[in-house]
Amino acid sequence: MKPFRFTATINGRPVDLPVNPHRRLLDVIRDDLGLTGTKEGCGEGECGACTVLLNGRPVNACLVLAPEAAGCEITTIEGVAPEGGLHPIQEAFLEAGAVQCGYCTPGMILAAKALLDKDLSPTDQAIKTAVSGNLCRCTGYIKIIEAVRLAAAKLSGEGDAV
Amino acid sequence: MNRRGSGCLKDGPGVIGRNCRRVDGIAKVKGSAFFAADRKIDGMLLARVLRSRVPHAVLNKIDARSALEVPGVVAVYTASDIPGENRVGIIVKDEPVLVDDRIRRVGDALALVVAESEEALAAALPAIKVWYEELPGIFSPAQAMAGGAPAIHGQGNIQSVTRIVKGDADSALKEARVVISRRYTTQMVEHAYLEPEAGLAAVEDGQVTIWASTQNPHYDRREVARVLGIGQNRVRVVQAPTGGGFGGKLDISVQCLLGLAAWKSGRPVRMVYSREESMEFSPKRHPCVIDYTSACDGDGRLLAVKVKIVGDTGAYASYGPATLKRAAVHASGPYQVPNVFIEAYCVYTNNPTAGAMRGFGVPQVAFAHESQMDLLAGALGLDPFTIRLRNCFQPGSATATGQRLIQSVGIGQTIEQARAGAVQLGVLGGKR
Amino acid sequence: MLQPFNYHQPSSMEEALSLMATLPGPKKVLAGGTDLVPALRRGELSPAHVVSLKQLAEMREIKIKEGRVHIGALVTFSQLAEFRPFRGPHNLLAEAALQVGGPQIRSQGTIGGNIVNASPAGDLLPPLVALEAEVRLCRAGGERVLPLDEFLKGLGRTCIEQEEILTEAVFPVLPGQAASSFVKLGRRNSLAISRISMAAILVPGATGIIEEARLALGAVAPKPVRVPRAEALLKGRRPDPSLLEEAVTAVAETVAATLGDRPSAPYKKVAVRGVAREALIKAAPQFGCKL
Ligand SMILES: Cc1cc2nc3c(=O)[nH]c(=O)nc-3n(C[C@H](O)[C@H](O)[C@H](O)COP(=O)(O)OP(=O)(O)OC[C@H]3O[C@@H](n4cnc5c(N)ncnc54)[C@H](O)[C@@H]3O)c2cc1C
Ligand code: FES
Ligand code: FES
Repeated sequence: MKPFRFTATINGRPVDLPVNPHRRLLDVIRDDLGLTGTKEGCGEGECGACTVLLNGRPVNACLVLAPEAAGCEITTIEGVAPEGGLHPIQEAFLEAGAVQCGYCTPGMILAAKALLDKDLSPTDQAIKTAVSGNLCRCTGYIKIIEAVRLAAAKLSGEGDAV
Repeated sequence: MNRRGSGCLKDGPGVIGRNCRRVDGIAKVKGSAFFAADRKIDGMLLARVLRSRVPHAVLNKIDARSALEVPGVVAVYTASDIPGENRVGIIVKDEPVLVDDRIRRVGDALALVVAESEEALAAALPAIKVWYEELPGIFSPAQAMAGGAPAIHGQGNIQSVTRIVKGDADSALKEARVVISRRYTTQMVEHAYLEPEAGLAAVEDGQVTIWASTQNPHYDRREVARVLGIGQNRVRVVQAPTGGGFGGKLDISVQCLLGLAAWKSGRPVRMVYSREESMEFSPKRHPCVIDYTSACDGDGRLLAVKVKIVGDTGAYASYGPATLKRAAVHASGPYQVPNVFIEAYCVYTNNPTAGAMRGFGVPQVAFAHESQMDLLAGALGLDPFTIRLRNCFQPGSATATGQRLIQSVGIGQTIEQARAGAVQLGVLGGKR
Repeated sequence: MLQPFNYHQPSSMEEALSLMATLPGPKKVLAGGTDLVPALRRGELSPAHVVSLKQLAEMREIKIKEGRVHIGALVTFSQLAEFRPFRGPHNLLAEAALQVGGPQIRSQGTIGGNIVNASPAGDLLPPLVALEAEVRLCRAGGERVLPLDEFLKGLGRTCIEQEEILTEAVFPVLPGQAASSFVKLGRRNSLAISRISMAAILVPGATGIIEEARLALGAVAPKPVRVPRAEALLKGRRPDPSLLEEAVTAVAETVAATLGDRPSAPYKKVAVRGVAREALIKAAPQFGCKL
């Protein structure tokens, strides 16, 4: 079992490190890179707490072997906010009260980002579909859906309308 | 707009009706909130528990010698390594941190492995040899309460009985126009908080500090101190951001084991449950069997209820006695009932432990008393709103336990508004 | 944590096939990993070698040529759901893909993995069986093409050999006037495996009659099954509510026979009626036209 040379771009920064190929992308992100905003809730693709974007698409980092993500552009929650501020989706989650315990929040925000990066006026159904791979045990989802709607409005320049 | 959640109080009374930011909000949306599994300390070890695969057995011997030979394994702790008391529990101290005599459930902790890496843990656990003598298991309260059933704990299988008696239910039943008796059964429920249990412990200057995903840091502290046999002044428990609890993180999970491992090894130790371990080991909502008899007069006014509730608390009491007490107290629902006889039993079995979960025994009985109201209404040809309005608490009513409700009692208005809403939505006709 | 294994990331099909031919010991192909990684984590599989298909870009394409649709084994559920040409007669594939897992699973999971995993509940399988798809299996120095129905052997079993890689699924293009549908019944809308699923293809004739019907059910038998009785019954007739009920009954009777005495049988016998009804109405709205 020889280590695999893992080169990728994480949150806009190049990384280059040896990883054991049986380690999951989630382990490399959390343990090797110390980006602990990405959470593990189940380890088997059911909860979405480990969601990251791989070349813009949402994936469960617990199901991706690290070397499979080599060469990709990876976005974790730590790469969402601009320096010193918050991303409009993050603002919207706070404003809508979509954050309770916060354990699902990073994954939810990335799932929402994957949607809003492509579609700034999603229907409620599209929002529900976008977060359908993410479990939240606290909020009951309503406020999360509201937050994504609000974020869409913010991003498309409608500011605090909605 | 308030930033960092601090603004609202400073702004004075104007906070009411305005949005405030939660104090922990920014860290949570940025992914910089450190949950217990996110913490690391230099030189930190990892720990994992060897758990029982059988529900009921006498534990004879644990041999960890081969596990200790696995490279990277630092120690394997068993019950004999516990310096203080090896029993914890919020109400009854009946649960071992590490089993010393008897296995009472699948998932009981037998040994704690501490190692440098996940790989070492994975190799060490199967290398531990356990000798035990299996006993027949008891998997339902009915079995547990039957005469001659083996006692899971020394004092027998009925852990507690709560009785509430008001008036004379039996006589009232005889005079009633309608009497309905049914059995209701409710299932075990897992909280499934999104964050599995996790914690980290470190010892410094003779004091142990534990960061844990918990709902109950003060209790944790007392238990860790008892288990380690040290004063509470030498134990510090920090509640890490906690990824959901819903009652399920009120009991001890990793705290005592981590305290033990850090205390004994002198090194920081972290333990994170897998989802499977969390499901298997964490307490559940009590499954209940509820035998419910209700009686009313020709106008649908309740005359009496007789209720027997049997809750399966599993292998350990946890919050069971209190949960069943609460189930008893609420068994007559939000209704005025002049004659009441309620019994609630909290019973040990070899099932997973049941403890606290949102509602604490009340959802179980609500299912029963509300079903009964619908059946009574049906028997008298009343609509379900009417029978509830005729019976619900008013200011001045007395509950089954004799409490006078002297302040606001909202149930009547709530039912009226629910009915109006249902009519408006067109799911209910306008007339009674 | 997963048990360690040797990992290979060949950069060409030749290299991949030669690795498959020569690596000693148990080996597994890795596509999206959505079935394989959980199995490795649970310790159900412990291959000595994992051969990743990641770099084999040619298997990520969907091509339509000479009257046949070729779907590369690495095509993901998202790709299938988003592939515009599947909005027409072939939309059963897009519909099935869109109902798999959640968005994260759809970004990663592949058609090849779905086929080789051979779950009775695999959502692409009933559509592919209805489409009468074939699969291409390659090995160093050779290849074979098998009808999917023959390739699938039942619960997690196929006739793939240790050294083979499934490279594509191929099926004939449906006539332009054909319509199709896929309906899935799960315990909830996302992240739920199918309790029952049905794919339907209806080819209308000139006079509004059904010229050809192909129905395939998932999760009622060890592998997807066609429903010849219902298909025959529909053929040559005009879709209307009474024909719908006849067809639904034929489907239900077929299912009752395949289910045996599995615990879910009583439920599935009833529920399949709703699934069949919905699938047929989606494919031909006339079935639902007001009585
Ligand atoms: C949370 C979750 C939800 C899911 N929901 C659904 C669902 O709703 N419906 C559904 O159908 N499935 C579902 N699945 C299962 C899974 O996503 C699919 O079966 C998927 O198609 C597997 O594809 P993959 O590329 O991820 O396969 P892998 O995991 O990479 O491989 C699966 C198997 O196929 C073999 N294999 C893969 N590709 C090839 C090839 N080209 N040649 C030879 N062998 C190959 C592998 O060796 C392995 O044995 C779900 C899985 C998860 C984790
Ligand atoms: S941890 Fe990856 S989906 Fe739950
Ligand atoms: S906020 Fe707790 S799980 Fe979503």
